Order: sequence, then structure tokens, then C-alpha cells
Amino acid sequence: MLWLYLHFPHLLLDHVRRSQQTQGALAVVDLAGQAILQVCPEADHLGIRPGMRLKTALGLAPDLVILHLDSQQETNLLEEQARWLYRYAAHITLSPPHGLWAEVSSLQRLYGGLPAVWQTVEQALAERQLTAWLALGHTPLAAQLLAQAGKGECTADKGHILTALGKLPLVAAGFDEKSCTRLHRLGLNTLAEVFNLPARELARRLSPELLARIQKAQGTRPDPKSPWHPPHRFRQRADFIQEVEHAQGLLFALQRILTELEEDLCWRQQDTDTLHLLLQHRHEEATRLTLRTTGPEHRAESFLKLLRLKLDQHPLRAPVISLSLSVKRFLGREAPVGQDLLGDGQDLNEAWHTLASRLQARLGTEALQQLAPRADHRPEFAWTASAIKPASRHSETPEVSGLPARPLWLLSTPHPLAEPPARWFSGPERISAGWWDGQRVHRDYYIAQLSSGQLAWVFRDIRDGWYIHGWFG
Amino acid sequence: MSKSLNHLLQDARIWQGHKPQKHASPAEHTGYQVLDNQLGGLGWPKGALSECLLDSCGIGELHLVLPLMQKVARQGKTIFWLNPPHTPYAPALARAGVNTDQLVLVQTHDSADFLWTLENCLRSPVTGLVMAWPGKLATRDIRRLQLASEAGNNVCILFRERRQAEQHSPAALRLELIPGEHQDLKIIILKRRGSWPGQRCTLALGHRAGIQASDPTGVIQGPWSQDGAT
Repeated sequence: MLWLYLHFPHLLLDHVRRSQQTQGALAVVDLAGQAILQVCPEADHLGIRPGMRLKTALGLAPDLVILHLDSQQETNLLEEQARWLYRYAAHITLSPPHGLWAEVSSLQRLYGGLPAVWQTVEQALAERQLTAWLALGHTPLAAQLLAQAGKGECTADKGHILTALGKLPLVAAGFDEKSCTRLHRLGLNTLAEVFNLPARELARRLSPELLARIQKAQGTRPDPKSPWHPPHRFRQRADFIQEVEHAQGLLFALQRILTELEEDLCWRQQDTDTLHLLLQHRHEEATRLTLRTTGPEHRAESFLKLLRLKLDQHPLRAPVISLSLSVKRFLGREAPVGQDLLGDGQDLNEAWHTLASRLQARLGTEALQQLAPRADHRPEFAWTASAIKPASRHSETPEVSGLPARPLWLLSTPHPLAEPPARWFSGPERISAGWWDGQRVHRDYYIAQLSSGQLAWVFRDIRDGWYIHGWFG
Repeated sequence: MSKSLNHLLQDARIWQGHKPQKHASPAEHTGYQVLDNQLGGLGWPKGALSECLLDSCGIGELHLVLPLMQKVARQGKTIFWLNPPHTPYAPALARAGVNTDQLVLVQTHDSADFLWTLENCLRSPVTGLVMAWPGKLATRDIRRLQLASEAGNNVCILFRERRQAEQHSPAALRLELIPGEHQDLKIIILKRRGSWPGQRCTLALGHRAGIQASDPTGVIQGPWSQDGAT
């Protein structure tokens, strides 16, 4: 077995920097706000080091932007990285908070050699603007130790790995502090010197745990890692160092996330029709926006267009400090039907989805309606309006016949008849129904022409009131 | 003098009003032969705006468009109703042979949304017909819509009030609709692209309420006709 370890020295910083382009120095401090934990290259250039006190760091760089460590967020971020790595490697194990293992011996044939695997991963990292230190090891622990020390090399040679491992100082081996001090007092400084000690003595004099760790690094003791499986949902988050006040500022981050979503969907061969966008504000409750497309969609470009419309309709209530986009609903891809081979004819189904999604994004879902007749004798109940649903677009028209003439316009509520009609044409047509559901209708309908020339559908109800209920348009 | 006139008349750039040119512009037949004849045998212009100016609904304005609606629905294209003043009554439409699945009702709240929606509908290839009740429109807005409808190849009919007849409009066809005495509809062509306006015709639309021309009284008289509004 051969393991590749990816160590992200400042994942949180990378994550923040790719959502917003800033030049200044960045640092992550611990929860108490006392010590620096991670620094970006700019901050490092200014002389800020991890472990330094915050006051000292601010003395060195007054403009330093400070991020507070959020362990939950770090775990989520690491999972995000595992998601894309899962496309390249099947067996992945998380090592919170900063690293990932991928089993690569099984991938060599697929990629055509170890250097190709290494390159693929490096390229993927560069595409995502992430900093990671890679290392290969014949055991998970060896890979991890080498990566954390930044001494990783692209080699599968066990002897070479052990030599590199042996050169590591004891501090880098991750022993507990007490054992580390004792080993130092024994005059041991590198791992190779510890490797040479007899195992039994080591366990007796120091601790069995230390021996276990050494044996795991060397590969003489099994160190099983359970594989991680990506959850069946998509969730990405962008945090902003400077609060975003205009929707335009969100689009940059959204574009990157949507591109990732498109890749993810392409890779799954799936589509989605619902996107959830959560905008966090500093002092106010978070804004939740739901974007629905009328049909399955996977292209980042069309999602972005719709989101732009949605954001135009819902101006930001307060400056945004972070946004997260999640997708929980996935739909299987359907092969396009009715498209000719050369692609000359336009795909009307797709055009319909595009148009309906656009209109709904701007006007709201309920602004678009479809009408259908319904079997009821009462005119106001003889039709229904429903939100548009693309599936039913090509159904057959139900046969409506045998009824007397009906007007093309129906008033939403009957309008009192103000003047006697000029001419009467037909009637009465008695409609008496609805005793079963409390919406009783008991009317005599006539067709009459008003003096203005309009042809009206008028009725007289049981209380002798005259109303106009429709126009023969 | 006459020689130079003749010379001028031979110039293709001179438009001669007395012989209207057969326009090659695409159009949809209205379904009424009388009206088609007045419109130079063409009908509703495609890729251009048409305006119907009327005082109140219920005079047969939908029946004027009904043959086109039937045709568009048969072709599987969508008919958009934008801000209609009342509810289009689905049973009546279904009875008239319009597939109600092809109808989409859109309600907008302000005029910016209205123009945006209309433009989007006009540009889409799924649209066959757009009927819109815009209320007040500035000439600039109509111009914008005219450009949008040129981008698509659809029929777009705006229903507006008659008093806006004086307002200048870039629409390709403007019809004034006046109700007649016998449930008919008088149509005055106010503007027509490429020809003289001013033609009139009358469409008998009594059949829209099932009224026979020969039988004016289908009402059963009863004791109730003495009271109430009658």
C-alpha cells in the first residue's frame, strides 16, 4: 500500500482569499484571541510567525486582518477538499483538522505511474488556489509526518521513505511532550536514532503508545484507515474578510462555487432544480434565498443568470459576511429528446425551461399560472389555476362540450349590474349546485348586451340581485 | 417638367402611394377573410407589434384573436397572457379548441417588470403569441417592445384604450375596435405598415354567445322580467 498525504498548512486562509481578492496580510488566531495559529505568505514576509502573540503581530503589521478559528468550519472545509479529491482517488480518509489521506497504489495503473498521480493532484490544487504539502509514504503515518514537515517526495521506494523519515527531528514526529523530553535527555535528536532502539526496551522505558506510533510509521504494525464516503449533497461556503455591501460583490464568489457545482454535477451525471443560498450578516438574521429552475439544470452559467435576477429582486438587507450555497435535491440526467443530430433545430423544451425559470426568478413562482377546466357546474369553480409544470405541457385537452355558451372572460367577483341591458339574447340557464360544500350557488344566467355594446353574461341570484359574471370577449 | 417627373418615377427609391407594395414581411392570417382583405391579404404581422384600441372588453376582442390562438396552440407554441383585465375562462377556451396547456398567465406588479417580461417572452422561440394589457405606456417603451418583437418572430398584440389612438406609436398595425349594433365588431385600421390606413370593415361576431342572427329573442320571458333591473 502506498499513501498520499495532503497537508493544508493554512486552509482557512486559502479559503478566505479565493472568495475575495485582497492584498493585505492575513492571520488566524485561536479562540481566545491570544496567539497566532496560521499566517499567509504576506504575513510571513512581514515577520509574523505561528505561535507569536497577537499583540506582537499587530505591532509588526498594524493592518493585519485577523480571522478567528472555527473548528467546525475547518472540518467542513476539509470535507469540501475531500469531495473533489474523491474524483481522483477512491479510498480517502480525513485527518482533521489539516490533512487528507488518499490511497494511491491502486491508482498507478490508471494514471500511468506515480508521477502522473502526483501531477494530477498538484494541478487540481493549483486550479483551486490551494496550498498543500504532499508526501508519499508506505504507511499512512509516514506520509503524514513527511507532509507535515514539508519533506515529501514522489517516490515509492520504501528505503528512501524511511531514510527521509529518519532525518526528521523528534519534534516533528508528533510524540507527546513528556516522551519527547525524555528522548532528548537520552541524547536522541532524530527519528532514525529512535528507530534503532530495541522495541522491547522502548516500550518498557518510555511507553507502549510511543512504540505503537513508531511501529505504525515504520510499517511493522497495522494502521487501518476506514474510507470516507462523500455525503450525497453539495455545500460550499465563501467567507468575506471585507463585508460585501452590493450583490455584485457576491457574484465573484458565487461564480466559483457554481463552477464547482457544475463540475460536481457533471461528475455525478446528475442535475438539480433547487439551490439554497444562505447569506450571513453580522448583526442581523441570515437571509435565505431559494432558487428554483423549472427544469433540471447543471450549467453554472444559467444558474448564475438566475441568481443575478434573484439578487436584483432581493436587495441585500445588510452587509454580507459569508454566503453558503447548498444543493440537496439531485435529479437524474435525461437524454435530450427530439434534437436532431446536427443541432440545427432549437430545443424548444430547453428554451421553455430557460424562459420559465427566468420569469419565475424575477416575478416569483406564483406570478406564472396555467389554466385548466375543471368538472364543476358552478362557473367560478369550473376552472383552476396552477403553477406551471413542464411535464403536463403536451397533454390532451379534455373534452368540454354540451354546455351552453360560456364567456371568454370571467370576472374574479361578480359585478353588480348598474343599468338594465339594452337587449336580451338567451336564458335563463339555471345553475344550482354546491349544496354539498357550503359554497351554494343558485342562479339564473342570461346573455345580454349592455348599452355600451358589450356582450355580458349576467345572472340573477336567489336574492333577486343582478350581477355581471363575464364578458363575451 | 414631365420628363423629369417620369425620370423620378423610375427611381426605385421613390415610394408611390397609389400602388401598395406587396410586403414580403411574414404574417399570420387573422382567420377572418374580410379583415385579411383589408390588411392586404396578410393578417397579423409577425415580428412586429400590433395594437388593438378599445374602450371596454366584451365586444369580441378575444374572438378577433381566437383563430390565431387556435392555430398557435395546435403548433404547440405557448400563448402568453400578460396582465389580462379579467380571468380567461378555461372552459370556454377549451371549448373553442384552444389547448389550455399552452396558455400561460403572467401577472406583473410594475411597468418595469411588465416590459421586461414582455421582452423576454417575445425573444423566446417557444412563444407563438403574446397578448398584453399594458395600461399606460410611453412611446419610448413601445419602441423598445417593437425592437424586442423584431428579435423574435412572434405575433404580439397589445390591448390599449381607445383614447391612446392619438398617441404616436411605432406599432406596425393599429386597429380601433368599436362595438356594433348587432353584436358585431367594427374595425378601423389606423395604421398599417407599407400602405394607407383608414380601411374599415365589420365582423359579425354574434356566434360568440351562441346567438343566431335570425333569432334575436331566445329569452324565455317570465314573471321575473317585471322586477329587478329589467
